Amino acid sequence: MHAALYVSKTGLAAQDTKLTTVANNLANASTVGFKRDRAVFEDLLYQIQRQPGAQNTEDTQLPSGLQLGTGVRVVGTQKQFDYGSLQVTNQPLDVAIDGRGFFQILQPDGTIGYTRAGQFHLSNQGEIVDPTGLLLQPAITIPDNAESVTIGTDGTVSARIAGVAAPAILGNIQTVDFVNPAGLQAIGGNLFLETAASGNPIQGIPGQNGLGQVEQGMLENSNVDIVEEMVNMITTQRAYEMNSKIVSTADQMLQFVTQNL
Amino acid sequence: MDKALYIAMSGAKHNMRAQTVHANNLANVNTTGFKADFARARSMPIYFGEGHPTRAYALEEIPATDFRQGPLVETGRDLDVAVEGDGFIAVQSPDGSEAYTRAGSLFIDALGMLRTGNGLPVLGNGGPIAIPAAEKVEISGDGSITVIALGQGVDAPVQVDRIKLVNPPTDTIQRGIDGLIHLLDDAQGELPADGNVRIISGFVEGSNVNAVNELTSVMSLARQYEMQVKIMQTVKEDSEASARLLQPAS
Repeated sequence: MHAALYVSKTGLAAQDTKLTTVANNLANASTVGFKRDRAVFEDLLYQIQRQPGAQNTEDTQLPSGLQLGTGVRVVGTQKQFDYGSLQVTNQPLDVAIDGRGFFQILQPDGTIGYTRAGQFHLSNQGEIVDPTGLLLQPAITIPDNAESVTIGTDGTVSARIAGVAAPAILGNIQTVDFVNPAGLQAIGGNLFLETAASGNPIQGIPGQNGLGQVEQGMLENSNVDIVEEMVNMITTQRAYEMNSKIVSTADQMLQFVTQNL
Repeated sequence: MDKALYIAMSGAKHNMRAQTVHANNLANVNTTGFKADFARARSMPIYFGEGHPTRAYALEEIPATDFRQGPLVETGRDLDVAVEGDGFIAVQSPDGSEAYTRAGSLFIDALGMLRTGNGLPVLGNGGPIAIPAAEKVEISGDGSITVIALGQGVDAPVQVDRIKLVNPPTDTIQRGIDGLIHLLDDAQGELPADGNVRIISGFVEGSNVNAVNELTSVMSLARQYEMQVKIMQTVKEDSEASARLLQPAS
């Protein structure tokens, strides 16, 4: 069959994957702490039909060959960990990381998930939990007689207890960093998992050793740039149309030969 | 049988091959750093001995790759680099040899090694580049990599390495079957670094495929193909006519 059919099929499939990435980014344009993806394209292998430099006759060489490309593929989606803008919410349990770092969330299976979405709540036990009810690690419990909760830039959580002059220190929010955050595996729910590509988590105190400070009363917005995504959407759509044009042209060529011979 | 049938067939077949070249260019219209291939047909006369020299087969070939600059696309990411003007980024291909690319969407892996988007180590002054855990990585115009180490202030930047940038004449290089740029003559070994090649961080280079050119070529090749098929059809009718004439009268 016509090789161009398969080549443009890879083009259609790759643009399709890219559009899915763009659609997911746009869908999460308002998700707290969301990090956008970018599809990375690569050209596929080339097939040598005629080797350049091969002997044409005993005395002459072919000056140029025929290497046919076999199309394109998406090698991966790269998470872009640039920071989203900070939004002031004035909620005492909204925490943003200003710089590098991730919060640690204890998952139901006992492993740790990592997130930058610092929209925390209290459970009925007074523990700090994420919006789905998973515990922040290390666990911090706010007593029910606490009048106000303060989270310092280094992650120290303290509360003023009714009738007590000095605030009580309840614990520390520790954050972790990764050598290659782009290698983390996104599992949804704003959570990431450690992988062999991300490296081991390096735990630390916010504001020290390169970790960003935590800011109470703020949230990190999604880092999706809507204009950029819309432009990506347009270029993806046009590339898709052009590849489908090739498919129909190749099909017409085959149709012409089968009908006329 | 008239040889015109075979000549038209080779024409149609090579039209199809050229179609594949253009399809591949268009499939890569969004691929970072992709360089389009040219396609060209050459006549291959097969005139030997006595007779009228009319037989010439068409032969499709890719004489070269179009190494012109693609559009620069702003991404704002520190590790995205685009080569401005001529030149290539040196990478280590899977077989250990040096190859060149213009796809500069780089990342740092778990071990701190600087790699291209498809995982090949980027080469520096002395082999692959290792980048220590850092708060910020800056790549300057000449390929120098500066980092601000974890826990250090902005006043303590450290230069770690320099990306090897090369600028070979385009007639000494070709695209290999892995899509990377290789030297035509492997015996030349590795190219020396060229201090004049500039890169710009925060940008990637888009594909240099001219979509309108490619689509026009595809349309024109489709019509040529139909003409070749028409010739095959005519030869078929001619041979039917002569077969009819040669039949004994009934």
